[in-house]
Amino acid sequence: MLEARKSSSSGDRVPLSALFIGFLRVSLSGFGGGLVWARRVVVEQRRWMDEQEFAETLTLCQLMPGPNIVGITVCVGAKLRGALGAISAVAGFILVPWTVGLTIGGIVLRSAEIAVLQSVLSGLSASAAGLLIGTGLRLLMPHRSRRTALLFAGLAFAGMAFTRLPLPIVLLALAPVSIAVAGLESARAQ
Amino acid sequence: MNSSSATLALAAHLAVLSSISFGGFPTVLPDVHDFAVAKGWVSDHEFANFFAVSQVMPGPNMILMMSFLGLKVAGIPGAIASALATFGPPCAMYYLSYRLWDRFRNMPWQRIVRRGLAPLTIGLVIAGGYVMARSAAVGWQSVAITAAAVVLMLGTRLNPLWILIAGGVLGGLGLL
Repeated sequence: MLEARKSSSSGDRVPLSALFIGFLRVSLSGFGGGLVWARRVVVEQRRWMDEQEFAETLTLCQLMPGPNIVGITVCVGAKLRGALGAISAVAGFILVPWTVGLTIGGIVLRSAEIAVLQSVLSGLSASAAGLLIGTGLRLLMPHRSRRTALLFAGLAFAGMAFTRLPLPIVLLALAPVSIAVAGLESARAQ
Repeated sequence: MNSSSATLALAAHLAVLSSISFGGFPTVLPDVHDFAVAKGWVSDHEFANFFAVSQVMPGPNMILMMSFLGLKVAGIPGAIASALATFGPPCAMYYLSYRLWDRFRNMPWQRIVRRGLAPLTIGLVIAGGYVMARSAAVGWQSVAITAAAVVLMLGTRLNPLWILIAGGVLGGLGLL
């Protein structure tokens, strides 16, 4: 893509509108796998970051709370144009899809007493729940040989699924222990 | 509870949760579910509907789902407040940490913290799915759809959108 050739290397400032539109595209393409599209737009098409920088940014985002994809959006915007850039990128990511989604979704939900629609929604939510469980299980695969990781995943699951404990309590109880165990394991490995 | 104090209660709760949503917003679904149902704002079924509709929209699903909850609790102002509470705190943290990134990018502890947090967030994602499946369940048929979706997700490289649509179609055909 020729349009991208200047933006990252020279001193040209990326316009705020380009950030808005770039992340609007990421958002609208992001059925299921938003990260794939973020990489495609940021690294391949616009060249706002190179592979290495994108991977490092993702690492940072995985360390923080919140959706990683929004984190990428904030970091790319902040890198190119500071606070205003971050706001433009996030606005592009959220504003249009949110407004459209809230309007259409609001109408659909208000008509949910229609029997057929309710049946469709029941089927959708059942399969969406399955996708979420499947995603979690896939994420667990790389950890399957680590017994302590399975233990802590199981404890976190049970803590939220079978007790009515609030999330802050569950995290406060488990995170320090889990991090300490990870620390011990890496110390022993060295 | 009047609508502005309900909005405030919901937004405050979501702001706390989004600030600790390591691993993404699906990890906080069980907490939001229990909170909203206990307050009497939504039924199990409505909460499952919010989830269903948000998942078939492109864009920021979880922000949208929380906005449906806000919409139900207090109309448009509730929807806006919920959205801001869901993405505002993480955005502020992302911005600050990006600014400070150079100072701690090479520190060994960040790898350990990630290794420690990863299993917890994975367990929480699965719990989110489990709680949503429980809310969505209207009989053994919906449990079967959930199970089939898990298997397809694990066993194939099918685009998740098709799995979603298949669930909706089976529901629409009156199988639930």
